[in-house]
This record gives sequence, structure tokens and C-alpha cells, in this order.
Amino acid sequence: MSSLYRTWLEFTVWFVCIVFWLFIVQGLSEWWQPVTLWFTFLLIYFITKKLGHEAHAIPFVAILVLVSWVFLYRLNPNWATSQFWGTLVSVIAYFAGLSGRFTCFDSPWFWSSSSLTLLVLTLLFGVRIGGAKAWLAVGTFRFQPIELARVLLFIFLGRELVEKRQPKGMYAILIAFFLVLALQKDLGPALLVFLSFCSLSLYVSFSWAKLGIYVGIAFSGFFSSLLFFPHMLNRIEAWLRPWKFLDSKGYQILQGLFALRAGGLIGSGLGAGMVQVIPEAHTDYLFAVIGEEFGLLGTWALILIYATLAFWGIKLLRGVDDDAQRTIGLGFVFLFHIQIFMVIGGILRFLPFTGMTLPFLSFGSTSLVAQFWMLGMLTSMGRKSS
Amino acid sequence: MTSKLRKCFVGILLGYGIILVGLLYWQTYADLNKHSANPRYYQMFQAERGTIFDRHGETLAKSVEIDDKYVREYAVASLSHVVGYFHQRYGITGLENVLHDELIRGRQIYTTIDLQIQKIAQECLGSNIGAVVVFEPSNGEILALVSSPFVDGNLLDKNWSNYLEDMRSPFLNRATHGLYPPGSAIKPVVYGAAFREGIIDENQTWNDSGVLAIGDRTISNFGNRNLGKINIDEALAYSSNVVFAQLAIELDNSLLDYYRSFNLGNKVDFILNNQSGYVPEIVHSQYDAALLGIGQGDLLVTPLQMAMIASTIANHGIMMKPIIVKEIRGGLQMRKIARSEELGTVLPEEATRAIRRAMELATLDGTARSDAGAKLHIAAKTGTAQTGKGKDHAWFMGFAPSRSPRFAIAVVVEHGGTGATVATPIGTDIIAKILELVTERERYKVSDHDW
Repeated sequence: MSSLYRTWLEFTVWFVCIVFWLFIVQGLSEWWQPVTLWFTFLLIYFITKKLGHEAHAIPFVAILVLVSWVFLYRLNPNWATSQFWGTLVSVIAYFAGLSGRFTCFDSPWFWSSSSLTLLVLTLLFGVRIGGAKAWLAVGTFRFQPIELARVLLFIFLGRELVEKRQPKGMYAILIAFFLVLALQKDLGPALLVFLSFCSLSLYVSFSWAKLGIYVGIAFSGFFSSLLFFPHMLNRIEAWLRPWKFLDSKGYQILQGLFALRAGGLIGSGLGAGMVQVIPEAHTDYLFAVIGEEFGLLGTWALILIYATLAFWGIKLLRGVDDDAQRTIGLGFVFLFHIQIFMVIGGILRFLPFTGMTLPFLSFGSTSLVAQFWMLGMLTSMGRKSS
Repeated sequence: MTSKLRKCFVGILLGYGIILVGLLYWQTYADLNKHSANPRYYQMFQAERGTIFDRHGETLAKSVEIDDKYVREYAVASLSHVVGYFHQRYGITGLENVLHDELIRGRQIYTTIDLQIQKIAQECLGSNIGAVVVFEPSNGEILALVSSPFVDGNLLDKNWSNYLEDMRSPFLNRATHGLYPPGSAIKPVVYGAAFREGIIDENQTWNDSGVLAIGDRTISNFGNRNLGKINIDEALAYSSNVVFAQLAIELDNSLLDYYRSFNLGNKVDFILNNQSGYVPEIVHSQYDAALLGIGQGDLLVTPLQMAMIASTIANHGIMMKPIIVKEIRGGLQMRKIARSEELGTVLPEEATRAIRRAMELATLDGTARSDAGAKLHIAAKTGTAQTGKGKDHAWFMGFAPSRSPRFAIAVVVEHGGTGATVATPIGTDIIAKILELVTERERYKVSDHDW
């Protein structure tokens, strides 16, 4: 317990320094936003504890969200303000997840059909932004339904994988899900859902034959999608030979790597990086911006925070007795961490770049809401302390 | 159940481990900072950077502000091979490149170059194609390094296309990268080798008829000159190919070991990049040995290496590591000082004393003869390296004053003619003017002190 309070103390000192810097040096008029966020997280922490849940993830998530706010503010104050309101909405999603007992609601058709409906609505009424038709607009409010749809899908999948009531139905839903994503040309989330599903399915019952089948599906899916989606070929080429396409498709990945390298060990310092040259610095490439300005120490710290969240999640799941609940929770853990691997792996050129958000860091309210909802549901599964 | 969850956790940790290693590589190791597509690279060209000074605090390169941007300004064009240039479009060369990380942090670089000696060397070399290197023998500090022709770092925008079209390659640093056969200028090393191996002594004489037959081939003196009965000092002073070919045949493969011990065939451990030259692995025949003994055959050296040979003989056989950057200052009173470093004793002192005596004779009465040379006690050796086509390369290497050397020098004039008629006047002139300069400075210093 005392170590936790120490974490809070250190974090508070760090946070006060940042706010002080923003307030004094930058003459910041939005200083109340990080202060509000900080008190909000303090409140979330104590309410979660009061409700008898495990709350140790909150300080780490708070660090991520506040770092995100600082960097978004540094890029464009409007983005920070937008992210601030997004975070407040996400708090509602968190408490909904914490107390809504969603994962206990055993209705396969509700979860699968709501997930698919969201996707089909996007397909029918969606707006195309950057290659993929992934946005749904209601008035002036825009959001990315896939972020929520994949959470809904995994509430369905987790229980189905354990209880095996209608395996054929489950595969049919999955195939429908991938088909709609393919029609939207949104291949990043499709890959994320595929990898998370494979991991979860192998967790439930491992066999080499199954693994072989999944690898086979991955390869055939990869090559057949190359035939259907020319923009995917561009991404693969940009990944394999960015130096050949300096000014075109290789530009973003190279600028990201230049930014990381310019950061070096300790970084150029907040505000000192040359980040205006990185396309999509606030969403896809916020991690590279942090890498340039906070250096290797900063990026390693963030990775350690993510790894700590993985530790927290798995430790919490060990205390969950119900198989279905545990599998659903593990599905969330996979969705969360595989997304991080895909985004950072793309920035580091380990994988082709897929254009998704980095959980709790990138700009994007839908993503934040979905992540907080998952966090709330995961927390609610933990054994209650009396 | 629990062990399966643990496996999941280990899998996730493995993923993060790979990412940590990837970050380590891309953030601290990958060679991206100077990539041509990196906009940070271009921004850097407009920033202020440290100043480069000569040994007396004269500015060699500095940043000048023009319209909120900084531009590099150079004191003399002839230093473009040493100091280099720093230009957004044309890149970074020389010390600007090697010490880039220090300079962008605003640190000051103090070189061992003496701006006035550099100017003297450049003026004396004039419009000839070639190189001059001037050393301080006792500590290995380079006082001047000229390679002609050169580009002007201040006029790159204006003259770039001319430089590119110039058939004389003004970008080539001939002092460090020019490969020439040394010709007779290598004979002091052969002399030293023969002395050390004990195959010559002062009283020994040869009868030099001007031509030496080796099997069915011949080695002859310059112009087939018949030198008659000569001793070893006279053989060096008058540059007898007949005598030195015989010494080389006798030394056989050990001669090549002596060449290598003088760092020939190896890159010099030096802050500026340089060529290694070439020394054959073994001697293939007596004729081959004879050619190598008179600096022909496959032997190739750089002017920097020849200057180091002159400097080593002047420094009693102790070879010094060449230094051109002495101090880096900046930051929190940070000073990095390059100290003189001995690379080893290449020849015993008696050998260098004997070589020095012979080289003095060369200035008094031999191929490097000149009134000024005799008056100023210059010890020197000339070389006329045959090139197969065009005029010969003219060499001059030496040091002065011969009994307590303060300056060692190597001069090469590419396709200039003979060492005696082309390189000797230039080398002698440079030494004379340097000695005049330092005498003037010392007088000034004394009177300054008195006042």
C-alpha cells in the first residue's frame, strides 16, 4: 500500500512541475483542464476503492492521459480541450462499465447484433476519412463506431468461446464482421480483432492444429486482401522500402523515425522538437512526438506503464473464478495490448503501419470512451474486498 | 488456469521487450540524423555553431548572422581541405564534419594550424597542383596543410558548377588522399634501414658509373650521370640510384618492413580521413627490390606520410601522432586537450644523425642545393617520381634548422618536373619565410615584454 502512495506522491510532484511550466512559462489559460483531470482521477481512484474494487490501474492511466493532454496542448490547444471533454465523457463510460454488470449479461444475440449493427450503420451512412470509411456523423458530432463495436464483439466472443453453444453461429458472426470491415477498407482494426481472437481462442484451448489453421488464414487473408485493396499494397511498400518513397508513401514513417532518433536518450525537451513535419502527429504518431521531446527515457517509461497495466490486468484476472468472465476480461487485455503492439510496431517499422490510436495517449474521444469502458468492466470483474 | 494466464502475461511482456529494444535502436543507434530527407538536418544549417581558431587565436571559421539565419564564414580558402565547409546544399566536410557534434553545441575548436604559415605555404605553392604539409617535429602538430587547387568555402554557391567541372579535382585533398610514388625522396628511409641493419658505414665507398645492370635490365641515375667514387652521404645528397638500388637488393624484404614501420601502406591515425598508400607484401625479384629502393615500382605514399617521415627523422627517430585539433572548449568550462603522443621509435638516434648529415650535404651541394638552404641549415631530400605519362612528380622533404629542427615539411608538385628544379625552390622558400616569420615574432615578443 505504501508504495502506491509513493507513486501518487511522485506523480503529483511531476504533475505540479508540468502545470507550473504551462502556467508560468506559457501563460496558459487552459491550466484548469489538467488540474480538473488530476482531481477527476483522484476521485475515480477513491470511488473505485470505496466501491470495493481494485484501483491500482488508475494512477497509471492518469499518467498516460495527462501526458497525452500535455502533448496535445503542445501541438494544438484545441486538441487538448477536445481531449479534455472526451476524458470527462470517458469517466461516465468507466463508471458505467464498473457498475453496469455488462459482462454478466448473457445474451449472445444482443452483443453480436449490436456490434454488427454499428458496423453496418457505418457502412451505410459513414464518412470516408483517410482511406477508410470508418466515421459516423450525428449532427456535428463524429465518432468511430469500430472502437465500440470491437468491445461489444469481444463480450460476445469471450462467452461463446467458453460455453461453445453455437460455434457455427460464432464463426458466421466473425466472418460477417470481417466482411463489413473489409468493405469499409478498415484493415487495421480487422487485423487487431483477428489477432486478439486467435490469442483468446488459443488461450481457451490450445492445439497446434488450431494454430496452424490461424496462420494459414492469416496468410491467405493477407494475400487475398492485397488483390482487393490497392492502398494496402502502398502501405506494405512504404513499410518495406520507405527510403524509396521519401516524398510520398514513405514520408510519414520516415518522419516518425527521424523524430525518434532526434530525441536520442533524453529528448530535445518539451516544445523543442521539430514535430510540425510529422503527419498526423496528434493521432497515429503522438508516440513519435513524445519520443523526440522526452527521448528514450520517456518512451521507455510509457512502455513500462503499459507493461504494468498488463501485469495489473492479468493479476486481476487470476482472481476471477467464472470462466466466461475471465475470458471476456482477457479479451479486453488482448485488444488493449495488441493494439499498442500494432501502433508502436508500425512506428518502429516492425510491422506495416495500420493507422490506429494508441490507447489513452492518442487524440480521439471514441477510442478513449471505449478504453475507459473496457477498463471499468475489467475492474468490475475483480474480487471485491470486504 | 493460472499457468495459462501466466503464459499470456509472458507473451505480452515479450512484445514489450521487443519494443524496448526497438526503441533503443531507433532512438540512440540508427544513423538518421544526417539523412538527406530529415528536415532537422536542414534546420541545423541555419543555426549558430562554434568557432574554429588557429593556434594563436585567429579565427578560421565562424558563424555570421544574416536575416536571422547563420552562415559560415571562412578566413582563407586554402583551409577548405582541413576546416572543410558547412553548407545547406553542398553538405559538410573536413573538421566541420568530424567535429559537428561539438560545433552544434557551440563549442570552440582550437586547431594547431598557424594561419600565417598556412598562407605562406599556399602562396609559395602558387598555382601548381600539389600539396604541402608542415609539421612541428617535436610534438606532431600540423602547422599548415595545403592541397592545391582547393574550393573556397565562402563562394560555394557562386562557383559550385565550376568546381564540379574542374579537371584538376579541387575537392580532392591531395595531402591526405593523393597517392604518389615517392621517388628518391624515400632514400632517407633506405639509408636509415641500411644503417640500422649494419650494411653500410661512413668510410665505405661505391664506384657509381651511372648505370647498374641487374640481370638483363638496368637501373640508371637521373640523366645517366656518372658520380664516380662516392660514400653513402654523397650517394644520398646526389641521389645515386645505383647505390640505393644495391642497398635495396641487399635489404630485400626487410626494406619493406622499414617502410611499414614508417606507417607507409597504413592509414595514419589522424582526425581527418586519409589514404593508406601502398607497400607490396614481398619483393619479387632483385630488379623489383631495386625499384622499391628508389621509390618507384608499386610503392605509393601520401604527402602527409612523407611529411611524417621528415618529421620523424627530425625528431631523432621518434614518430609522433599527427595532431591538428588541440583543444575543444565550451559548456561548463569543459576542455578537451589532445596531448602529443609517441607512436614509437622507428630509427635509433645514430641513424637519424647520419641521415641528417647526408640531407645537409644535399642542401649544401646536392640535388636540393640552394644558397638560402645552406644559409638556413636546411636538411632536405628531393624526389623525381616517374609517372609513366606526362611530366614527373616533384618532391621535396626536409626540416630546419637541421641541428635543432623546428619545422618539418613535405612538398609535392603533381606533374611538376624534377624535385631539384621545381619542388626545391618552393620548399626552401616556404622554410625561409617561416623562419623569417618566427624570428620576427620572437623579436616582437621580446620587445613587447621589455616595454
